Amino acid sequence: MGTDTPDTLTVTETLSLKEPIPKRPYPGALVVVEGIDGSGKSTQLYLLKRWLEIGGYRIHFTEWNSSPLVKSATRRGKQRRLLTSTTFSLLHAADFADRCERQIMPLLHGGYLVLADRYIYTAFARDAARGCSPHWLRNLYSFAPTPDITFYFRAPLDVAVNRIVAGRPKLKYYEAGMDLGISLDRAESFRIFQERILTNYDQMIETDNFVLMDGTVRVNKLQKLMRQIVAERISLQQFAPKKK
Amino acid sequence: MKRADKTTLKTHGSNGRPSKKRKSAVAELPSRFYGSPLPGVKPEELSGTLVVIEGTDGSGRSTQISLLTEWLESEGFAVQTMGLRRSYLVGEDIDGLLAENSVTRMTLALMYSTDFFDQLERRILPALRSGLIVLADRYIFTLIARAAVRGIGRDYLHGIYETALRPDLTFWLNVRPEVAFDREFKKSQIISYWESGRDMSLSNDLFQSFIRYQSMIKREFEYLSKRHGFIEMDGESSVSDLNRLLRKRIAAHLGIRSTHYRPSHALSHLWR
Repeated sequence: MGTDTPDTLTVTETLSLKEPIPKRPYPGALVVVEGIDGSGKSTQLYLLKRWLEIGGYRIHFTEWNSSPLVKSATRRGKQRRLLTSTTFSLLHAADFADRCERQIMPLLHGGYLVLADRYIYTAFARDAARGCSPHWLRNLYSFAPTPDITFYFRAPLDVAVNRIVAGRPKLKYYEAGMDLGISLDRAESFRIFQERILTNYDQMIETDNFVLMDGTVRVNKLQKLMRQIVAERISLQQFAPKKK
Repeated sequence: MKRADKTTLKTHGSNGRPSKKRKSAVAELPSRFYGSPLPGVKPEELSGTLVVIEGTDGSGRSTQISLLTEWLESEGFAVQTMGLRRSYLVGEDIDGLLAENSVTRMTLALMYSTDFFDQLERRILPALRSGLIVLADRYIFTLIARAAVRGIGRDYLHGIYETALRPDLTFWLNVRPEVAFDREFKKSQIISYWESGRDMSLSNDLFQSFIRYQSMIKREFEYLSKRHGFIEMDGESSVSDLNRLLRKRIAAHLGIRSTHYRPSHALSHLWR
């Protein structure tokens, strides 16, 4: 591990220095995980979800790119490789808008703790790596509510890439960033694409108050830390099951 | 950049020898994009002309575009057209969403923008690179107006479309909502859900709903017209009068001397 890998201790220290979360216009709360493929974020969010589920909390889990609304268009665009950086980005924004307006916002207003596997920062990092202007992207997603906590799972590029490549027989065209024309070799293209995304994520640590999580730390240890941070920063009591 | 300007001059000059006066006029032209151009697009490569016809439903846009296409082709210009929901990528998906009436305003606005940029990038920009004339049956302005009356911020909308191409000419066929109602009703014998803005719960009386919705759209257009320098046309004048005026403005822009035109037999039914 190089010196550029941030350790989690520094993170918890900065945490306490942070200003209190601004008042939101809804009673719910939003917890988001971000990071490149293979950084361990989905595993960690799953474990957090299980913890809260088992405790009977009012939660809802939501994923990036899961709405049936634009699925056929996304599939069509991907199959025929019709997507440009702009239409790729807009289609995902439309998909997110549907989830935001029909799911996330009503749940936040209804007092749920919403857990999101990937959020707008995925679009900021990935679509900027495809060539979209960061300024244009920020405006595009400006309707999205700001998360109460954004966990950024960071693993060294090699670790993350190896996790993905080992688990998958073939990388998909857009997933590997083949549309960028960086390399004809999918594995190589994927690596360079992920590297760009990682750089973009890193730049948001400060600007978007990411909570840095070291993706190389043992799963259960990291989960313990994640639960601790959630309990510190969100008053879980308001989502707890009501006693009769 | 200077070389590119000269090329543009040659294309648009009437005799290939641009005068000094014209040269300075070109230098003052605004950029071809509202903000930064779309990723990967070189504005100096776009030698064609983009003509936009805007106006609400029933303003006579489609009729005028059919006639203008025939006129331009008879003058030897190649024409490409674009319009709403015509992209391969999401055109049909939007039709499906509209049929269901369950889509939310932001999703619909973003699906329309996907539809717009897919057409722009894959059909319009290639056409403009080849020097074609693009006739747009509505453009970003209708999309902005429709979303704005539904409460989506104007700055937000302008931000999305800042990477769009600035038209060379934008005509606004302005008609009163009452006239638009008569024409639309005559055409389809029924007033559609979206044209009357029923998703906005303005009135249970569909005539009232239509008039109020179209008046709101019209107010947005008045604002957009000032902001973007539309050429306002009386959409209530006869098809032939309106067509003559449109031809005059387009001819002046392209350097065509004759604006004489008579529709062919195939289109004569439109000539009223």
